[in-house]
Amino acid sequence: MRRPNIVLLALMLAALAGWLGFESVNVAANRIVAGTGFHAHEIVGWPGSVMSCLPLAAVAMLAWRPTRVRLCWALALIVLILMAMPAWLAIAADRLVDPSLPQSRLGIGPANWLLLFLLLFSLVELRVRLALSRWVTWWLVLPVLAAWWLALTTWLEPLALLREYQVRSDPFHTAVLVHLALVGASVGISLVIGVLLALAMRRHAGIQRLVFSVLNILQTIPSLALFGLLLAPLAWLAANVEWIAALGISGIGWAPALLALVGYSLLPMVRNTFVALSEVEPGVIDSARGMGMNDRQVFLQVRFPLALPVMLEGVRITTVQAIGLTAVAALIGAGGLGTFIFQGLGQAAMDLVLLGALPILFLALVADALLGALASRLDHRRDAGVSG
Amino acid sequence: MIELFDVTKRFGSETAVDGISLRVEKGQLCALVGTSGCGKSTTLRMINRLIEHSEGEIHIDGQPVRRFREETLRRRIGYAIQSTGLFPHWTVARNIGLVPRLLKWPRDRIQARVEELMSLLGLPMESFADKYPNQLSGGQAQRVGVARALAADPDILLMDEPFGALDPITRETLQLELRDLQSRLNKTIVFVTHDMDEALQLADHLVVMRAGRIVQQGAPLELLRDPVDAFVESLLGGEERGLKEAALTPVSHRMLPLGPRLIALARVHQDASLHQALAVMFREHADRLTVVDAEDMPVGELTLQRLVGTCREE
Repeated sequence: MRRPNIVLLALMLAALAGWLGFESVNVAANRIVAGTGFHAHEIVGWPGSVMSCLPLAAVAMLAWRPTRVRLCWALALIVLILMAMPAWLAIAADRLVDPSLPQSRLGIGPANWLLLFLLLFSLVELRVRLALSRWVTWWLVLPVLAAWWLALTTWLEPLALLREYQVRSDPFHTAVLVHLALVGASVGISLVIGVLLALAMRRHAGIQRLVFSVLNILQTIPSLALFGLLLAPLAWLAANVEWIAALGISGIGWAPALLALVGYSLLPMVRNTFVALSEVEPGVIDSARGMGMNDRQVFLQVRFPLALPVMLEGVRITTVQAIGLTAVAALIGAGGLGTFIFQGLGQAAMDLVLLGALPILFLALVADALLGALASRLDHRRDAGVSG
Repeated sequence: MIELFDVTKRFGSETAVDGISLRVEKGQLCALVGTSGCGKSTTLRMINRLIEHSEGEIHIDGQPVRRFREETLRRRIGYAIQSTGLFPHWTVARNIGLVPRLLKWPRDRIQARVEELMSLLGLPMESFADKYPNQLSGGQAQRVGVARALAADPDILLMDEPFGALDPITRETLQLELRDLQSRLNKTIVFVTHDMDEALQLADHLVVMRAGRIVQQGAPLELLRDPVDAFVESLLGGEERGLKEAALTPVSHRMLPLGPRLIALARVHQDASLHQALAVMFREHADRLTVVDAEDMPVGELTLQRLVGTCREE
């Protein structure tokens, strides 16, 4: 721990350069016109902007001769900076946004975005260096989320993102629900089909080759193309088969989206389930049988529980992938958060794009963290000691 | 008692085990030795029907193994393997209690049995019961494996190179423990190994296999004195097999009563082997040793002439 922590040092120097070099916020009179960017020193003056650099410089200095204690201090400072960022935006809004113009709004500038991402990278780096457990990390992220939540609900009304949200809070909530429903349904359906396919593949090697080649081909079709390909047959089915139309299935909307999402989800799901079930250590299975377990007991008490962490890994990959792909499904009228992204792109309103993109990012991160935590909790092979 | 009558196993056109007959008396430890691929593991696994034999009969206590349901048969036969096969997602205590639970013993009886076995195998309950297999050393894991095999108190124990993956020191400790355990529990054990020294140390009955056939079987000393062919002789150590024979004979078998002469300075314990006595002589440049008992009191003497010259007389 004597040598400088190059990663942290580089991240902090980049953050400092970005903070002073790029525009911190931009202010626009309404959602369409191009805003004016403001550097940090244009908001709080040079003394203030130098002061605002101090915490970053302090972290960089702590990283120069890192000991465990110093890295803990660096961690605390980074969490504090993350908590202070909404306050900074509130100050900027207070100084720059003209309250007499109800449409005027504050956009988050590149300096702030860069700072946010570099700080998150630093958190990851420190988490690894300090070997923090998942729970400690959650407790660190919690106050940051609380600070942002508090700021968003009280002081940050002029924030462009919030303005976009306020005018469409109902569609936003519906979109989140539709998004989650599509992801949940596709992951759920592909989990059931995936497990059944994997079990069938374990019995017959022929099925294994067939399934993998079909799924591999499916995976290479671009998502938009697959949505398009499903359009014609589904429209035909809906037009010619009554009960299918009665279910609300048509060439566009949720049905082709769900079908395509299930199709994409199957490969990671089947592959992980199959590999998980096949790669349980042979000695364990041999001794389970040798001890007198019957086939059902071997599967339910040994093979399946030992495969579960790897299977969950498949569920995690599938879920994160589906959260992203569902955004594209908005193009064929399936709804979801992608709607805002494409609306925003059409109207050249970047903040509307962000209103769709940021929650997708957030959902993906949360799903990833939760399922990852669940998998490692179930996995006694890696860290049985700390699971309790 | 385990009996194999003319047992053959074919995998497709390949004959893995070719018409072997074998009898393991109750309370005996039978070691199957041979180079890899000689069919010794296959033979072992046919006894608990993890592999079904193609021809011949396998009897346990006079009953053909095919008369039992596979699971029933296996639950009354202990089974320990090289990789331990411990379930990584179960605690040590739960692993040991596996077969009793399959046999639907009441909870408190399982608990009591697990405690008994853990103390028998030198695994203190309070520090090991709740550990997971990946938190154990190789030797500890293998002890748990043996405890699990013994859990339902089976008469028969099948062990497939149980100490094969351990370092030499741990392996020797566990061999001694197994010998000690066997003298108390009197199980009928079939033990597969490719380590001839291990087999000589442990076995009452030694079976040398080659290419699916039994080349020679008998008591270890019989084989050492009279190997049937060059293959058995080379397995037994070639020129060094005399030393192995010496290693199996205790000093007490050869010692003379204390004579009128002054007692020798170099001494050897009466339970030591002739091999060890020879080593002491070599080291001390002595041709005469004083044999002592556990209290270090002289009980006899051993001369080099007596050690080598009468080696072949019982």
